Amino acid sequence: MSVLHVVFKVDGAEYVLPAADVLQMESFTGATPVPGAAPHVAGLVQVRGRVIPVVDARLRFGLPAVARTLDSRVVVAQLGNRVVGLVVDSAREVLKLDPQQLKPPPPLVVEGAHGFVKAVAQVGPRLVMLIDFPRVIGEETLDGDGQR
Amino acid sequence: MSASVDLADFLPAYLAEAEELLGTGHRQLLAMEASIRRGLANPRAVRELFRAVHTIKGLSAMVDVEPIVDITHWMETCLRHADRAGGRLPEASVEPLMEGLREIEQRVRQLAAGKQAAPVPPGLLSRLEALEAEGSSGGGAPRAAPAALALEEAVAARLSAAEREQLVTGATGGRRAVRLDFIPGADRAAHGVTINSVRERVAALGDTVKVLPLSGPAAGGGALTFVLLLLTEAPDAALLEAAGGPPASVRALTAAPASAPEPLPELAAPDEEPEEARRGGGSLRVEVSRLDEALERLAALVVNRSRLARAVAALTAAGAPTRELQAILQENARQLRDMRAAILRLRMVRVGDVLERLPLLVRGLRRSTGKSVRLELDVGDAELDKAVADRLLPALVHLVRNAVDHALELPEARRAAGKPDEGVVRVASHGRAGGLLDLTVSDDGRGVDAQAVAARAGVPVPASPDALLEVLCRPGFSTRDAANATSGRGMGMDIVHRIIVDQLGGELGLETRPGAGTTFRLRVPLTITLLDALVFECAGLRYAVAVGSVEELIEVDAAQVVRPAGAGGVCLVERRGNTVPLLTLARLLGRAGLGGCEGPAAKALLVRQRGELIAFGVDRLVGQQEIVLRPLEDPLVRVPGVVGATDLGDGQPTLVLDLAALGLARAKGSPRRQGGLAREEGRLI
Repeated sequence: MSVLHVVFKVDGAEYVLPAADVLQMESFTGATPVPGAAPHVAGLVQVRGRVIPVVDARLRFGLPAVARTLDSRVVVAQLGNRVVGLVVDSAREVLKLDPQQLKPPPPLVVEGAHGFVKAVAQVGPRLVMLIDFPRVIGEETLDGDGQR
Repeated sequence: MSASVDLADFLPAYLAEAEELLGTGHRQLLAMEASIRRGLANPRAVRELFRAVHTIKGLSAMVDVEPIVDITHWMETCLRHADRAGGRLPEASVEPLMEGLREIEQRVRQLAAGKQAAPVPPGLLSRLEALEAEGSSGGGAPRAAPAALALEEAVAARLSAAEREQLVTGATGGRRAVRLDFIPGADRAAHGVTINSVRERVAALGDTVKVLPLSGPAAGGGALTFVLLLLTEAPDAALLEAAGGPPASVRALTAAPASAPEPLPELAAPDEEPEEARRGGGSLRVEVSRLDEALERLAALVVNRSRLARAVAALTAAGAPTRELQAILQENARQLRDMRAAILRLRMVRVGDVLERLPLLVRGLRRSTGKSVRLELDVGDAELDKAVADRLLPALVHLVRNAVDHALELPEARRAAGKPDEGVVRVASHGRAGGLLDLTVSDDGRGVDAQAVAARAGVPVPASPDALLEVLCRPGFSTRDAANATSGRGMGMDIVHRIIVDQLGGELGLETRPGAGTTFRLRVPLTITLLDALVFECAGLRYAVAVGSVEELIEVDAAQVVRPAGAGGVCLVERRGNTVPLLTLARLLGRAGLGGCEGPAAKALLVRQRGELIAFGVDRLVGQQEIVLRPLEDPLVRVPGVVGATDLGDGQPTLVLDLAALGLARAKGSPRRQGGLAREEGRLI
């Protein structure tokens, strides 16, 4: 069974996320910065009456910041009880992927990408990368915080 | 069988109801236990407990949960005997009944988790059955001579057996049973004295057993009299005053105890009482999520109103005739305020109800620690927003647990120190002021040994209670050498601190005297969802702070600002003969030099931080307004100094700051670091 995935771009590269984890896509018009939050946290945005933190994918991936354009999107994803957004350069496509297509990334990529890339898939001429969403938004901040 | 389908439909309602009934059951059983210890009968508790158990049985039979039906059946039998014995329960029955409630609770949990209810544990039913044999042998002591009630026929006829009994028991127990006649009238209503206000005021003076309207000619020319039957300790004058003075009247219901006690009317079986039908009448259980939704809608209205106000202001500025619009807008503001108050009231829960688990907790601790403890709850009818109450409870549980586990000595040690064997843990509320509720959790134990704490933490001995509290609140700090089952592992005061200070934006204080005991003072906001806020601009962004947290607002005269050398940007301003440090908020927020006016701040908010006044310089004050606070739960944005976000109508979240916490957090870290402060340091506070 092929699974629907949302495709988004960061610095020219294409990433995917299972559509089941994505609540919605919003255009990005700026976030309210939160003092003291981790550097990759762009801040807070309001999405349909609820306030959610957004992570800047570029900063998280160690890429230079660029001016946001009309194409910039917030991919709003659900992580257990948490709802977190990811700011990406653009997102305008969904793709059906067969789990068979998803292969573990080459070791070099694993190291270079801090584990952000969980798998890669070859779709025709394109290479898309399945991201590890919890890790990208900074899952490590959950550890040691709250429940001890 | 279609039972499973039905079960799924009824389960949520069943679970909620069972949970509540179990709460009642526990409460009444603990009350029974207390009465037994003082050698008193407590027919009321027996009946309430019986009702709770009986209802659980009925509900459980409906959803086909056999094990619970069995347990409740035997508990019921035992309680019926206790009722026949005039509300006396043999002491040996408490433990098996408690066990019964525990087993029911466990099964309710299993059902909630989607599992099957486990079968009845072996032995429990036989223990309960044994109680029946014991109870029927009639161990009940003779009753105290009951007081006789002097009631006129019209009133007496309308009292149920239970109500009559309540009056008699109360009077026999030393309280006064009185009849207060209130005659309503137009002039009284004009002064706000109505049956409702009288009811409320009388409720503060004693227990209202029944209110009966009687028609017919009344004193003062009225045609209706409300007869309030009360159990009270208040003097007649106070009652009379509560009813608005004459023509209201007060009469005692009890004559001198009759020499030969009148036989009491045979009591109906509790489950057949007509009162049953009335129970819960007029109140409704609502899921919190629905209340949240109402609040959410209200928030949208508030936001919309500020947009409307802005639009009208623009029209006015353009010279349009907006007089009527202004009037409508004002009316609208008033309506929104009323609506806000109404929704807030819906969300309020009694602190006493929130704390109903504590007696059970202490009972368990008494058994596990071998200490003799008495829990005193004195919280009156203070109320809190449900959201605050839910967060507060774990902190209180923690403090009470700590008090029993760490603070109270074993009986021998207490005797040696000249204290009574029984330790006291007291949770009290001392009224509310300015949207805040004060609570204390105190014990008469050994007190906190500052030297031992310092040695354990590897720091110098703290000089002040605040400093001591700070050490105690370090993450993972424990005064116990080995973790034990009672204190949990490494769970320390840091959790309490985080809940009270970081999550609720409240205050936590400590008083301790060696050998005499410890008191924790908690001050929490009544609500964290709606508050009055000051909105201001700083470095190109808008922020809000709770009005209550700001002591004063001052203009900053640049010429008067002193810049001490080497203070790292901290300036000093003079305020009524005192020197106050002035911090530039933009710097604290890590936004110095970003999109705002450079140079000294134009205004400053004066805030007390650990008792010291600090001025926070901002660029511009926008105004004061009501905001709906959305707490920031996500760890990504849970940082000290930021309590939440709000929507001021521009579609962008606006941060709501806790300036004192922000100042403290930044004082400990390096303000120059990019992005402010690392999260780890923030958590150390």
